[in-house]
Amino acid sequence: MQQAASRPLMRKPKRNRTEFWMLLPSIVVLAAISIFPFFFMVYASFMDYSLDMDRPRFAGFGNWADTLTDTAFWQSWGRTLVYAGGGLLAQLVFGCAIALLLYHIPRFRNLFSTLFMLPLFVAPIVTGLLWRFLLDPTYGLYHWVLNTFGLDIQVLGDPSYAMFAVIMMDVWEWTPLITIIVLAGLQTVPEEPLEAADVDGANSWQKIRYILLPMVRRMIVVALLVRSMDILRYVDTIVITTEGGPADATKTIGYYLMQVAFRFQDIGGAASVGLTMLLASILMGRFFIKVLRSEEA
Amino acid sequence: MNRSWVTKLIVLAIASVLVLSACSSGGNKPGSGSNSGSSQNATNVNGNNSGDSGQSGNAGNAGGQPSGAADSSDPFGGWVEGLPKIEAPEGFDWKQFEGVTLNVITENTPPSSGLAANIEVFEQATGIKVNIEQVNLDIVVEKAGLDFNARNSNYQIIYADPYQILSKQAKHFVDLNTLNNDPTLPSIPGGLEDFIQSQLLVGGYMGDKEHLYALPYDNPTMVLAYRKDVFEKYKDLFMQEKGYDWTPGPDMTWDQYYEVALWINEKAKAGVISEVKYGTGHQAKQHDSLMNDFSNVLAAYGGDYFEAENLGDIGTENPGKSLLTSPEAIEAAEFYNELLKIAAPGSTTWDWNGLAEAFAAGEIAMIPEWHEFAGMFENPELSKVAGKVGWTILPKGPKGRGNMYGGTSIGINKYASDKEIKAAWLFLIWATAPQTQYMILDAGFTPTRYSVYQLPYIQKAMNDPESQEAKEWPLASSLIAAQEAWKEGNVYMRPKIPMWPQIDTIIYTELSKMLAGRQSPADTMKEIAKQSDRLTGN
Repeated sequence: MQQAASRPLMRKPKRNRTEFWMLLPSIVVLAAISIFPFFFMVYASFMDYSLDMDRPRFAGFGNWADTLTDTAFWQSWGRTLVYAGGGLLAQLVFGCAIALLLYHIPRFRNLFSTLFMLPLFVAPIVTGLLWRFLLDPTYGLYHWVLNTFGLDIQVLGDPSYAMFAVIMMDVWEWTPLITIIVLAGLQTVPEEPLEAADVDGANSWQKIRYILLPMVRRMIVVALLVRSMDILRYVDTIVITTEGGPADATKTIGYYLMQVAFRFQDIGGAASVGLTMLLASILMGRFFIKVLRSEEA
Repeated sequence: MNRSWVTKLIVLAIASVLVLSACSSGGNKPGSGSNSGSSQNATNVNGNNSGDSGQSGNAGNAGGQPSGAADSSDPFGGWVEGLPKIEAPEGFDWKQFEGVTLNVITENTPPSSGLAANIEVFEQATGIKVNIEQVNLDIVVEKAGLDFNARNSNYQIIYADPYQILSKQAKHFVDLNTLNNDPTLPSIPGGLEDFIQSQLLVGGYMGDKEHLYALPYDNPTMVLAYRKDVFEKYKDLFMQEKGYDWTPGPDMTWDQYYEVALWINEKAKAGVISEVKYGTGHQAKQHDSLMNDFSNVLAAYGGDYFEAENLGDIGTENPGKSLLTSPEAIEAAEFYNELLKIAAPGSTTWDWNGLAEAFAAGEIAMIPEWHEFAGMFENPELSKVAGKVGWTILPKGPKGRGNMYGGTSIGINKYASDKEIKAAWLFLIWATAPQTQYMILDAGFTPTRYSVYQLPYIQKAMNDPESQEAKEWPLASSLIAAQEAWKEGNVYMRPKIPMWPQIDTIIYTELSKMLAGRQSPADTMKEIAKQSDRLTGN
């Protein structure tokens, strides 16, 4: 009896040690690239810390007060909501539509899927350069097309159009990601419910509405989770095309952060801005995970 | 419960990585983006912008009478009659630093390209290995800042932009006076007095003249580029209608500039003028370029940014109160706002590169632009207007004239080792020497030395536009205007203060709002003044 009771006690620590050593490399890497910088950001957000200073000085809540009372900070968040909301909605609609289209193509599905995926393989900086070139008022193809139809507008130079333009650039680049995830989900849908629907006389829309979309809903949520956390920080095309202008129309929170950190070299201020972005990312992540859990339930 | 914590940890980790990578990618992308095209030196606060502007001449190789002979005091060769020589103390061993590697970080500008292309001259003479890293100015600022903050010397030689680096970080540079006065080392050929003095003041010092932190390296300046063919062809027609000679020159006023630009717009729309579409174009994107473009008008109207003295040359820590609420500044803003209403519509999307490309495409008759773009305009492979471009100083206003200056210097990181500092000094001696400047003219370089301008070759190129010398060195056409622009009363130098990057951002952001019709010129000036004073504590 004593032997039986002591056996598990002797084996348990051994298993824990093995697990610990196996996990250690991952923990070290995670600590190096994520946990340490996170705590450093928290530290920096309470310091008066810029690159031209000899050493950081304690600033209390100074950086936080400056950040949270800065109108430009809140305006940037407002624009980020428009940018992220508009971008995600458009990507969701187009992504699902293209996935359904590809799903229903009887032949050459792989070929068309590959073609639709191409924007994903373009570096974001190149995407920005490409769109800037296309919309350039001197030699841009799209500008010429707009002019031909009597629309003499400066897409990137007019605050009314600039935000729409940068959202469309994001949609062009990232819709394929939604497409590929949703398409993968569609391909796992079993044939039986669709055949049953055929027997019941359901039309194509009804099959999409009541069978396909509900069955890939979880995949859509996963896709949105990934994209939503990415789009918050996304500034590449904005940097290349509008640099936050005109009239601050495209200055999202990511661009604002970049300006504070690298143009003004205010590391303390940038840390406080970055932490608000981290908080927003966590909240958004939790929201989508909650949705996923409710789907599971 | 455990699962929930694992999920939370994963979300926290992913979110942290995303936000942190936003920080890092944000800093790097502008550089990569802006350097990827042939003329993409974006975010260049000082307008050092010809970039890969396709200079086709070979002035440096063609002119003068190179001695060709390297002697013991000058192992580099290339000296020509009339230039100060590179000289070293007797018995100086130019190869004493052999094996040292120097890293230079610089903006992608004509002198950097020219030096990089000829670096073997220096390396062979000294045995010192030099890596020249040419990047966007923002990246130079960032990397120099990181080096200084960590007391590192990853870069021993740094492109010391007066407004974004020198004004904030002067204390991290070696005082070059100590090296120049060291009897065991070579001194500056021709002495400090051979540098254009106003450029030495703004590029070499900070706060006082006791310490010399850097040596003038480039000197782009905003002047007026115009289409000679258009102005010659329609001269009589304009004279008939308006009653004066419209050829751009020193006597032109901003009001006349506006009138001429409007007239060209109307005639182009009516089909009378077919060579261009618009009278004027501007670099009015929400970008540093907008501040530069507006400053020309501001200075001409008698306005300025701050009240302190010496702001534009040796600089100061505290600029005093903002002057942008003055009647002169508001009047300048009102004029600029009106001018942009008749400018080429693409103006609000262009920085200096975009504007230059539009001008080179033949769309615009007149543009205020950095003189170094002359190389691009005269290159038929890049420009439809080669041979048709004239240059002059910018128009005058009611109270003077302003031609924005945007030169930069190079200095030595004081955290380098003693050996590296001395090796870097040899590089500075060579890189800023008159004979080196002469050698790299064909890279689109503008000399910063008086002596180079005195050479017969340069004189011929600048004074006779039809000469072979001028054809070989296309920058000559704009340099006459630039030299005129450098004169006191014509040049405008922005405030050299530590908080300039923030002030600059405020200026161009608020101006962009004004041009978008979001606020009046008077409100714009008041807003800039309010934000600037809050930032400077005045």
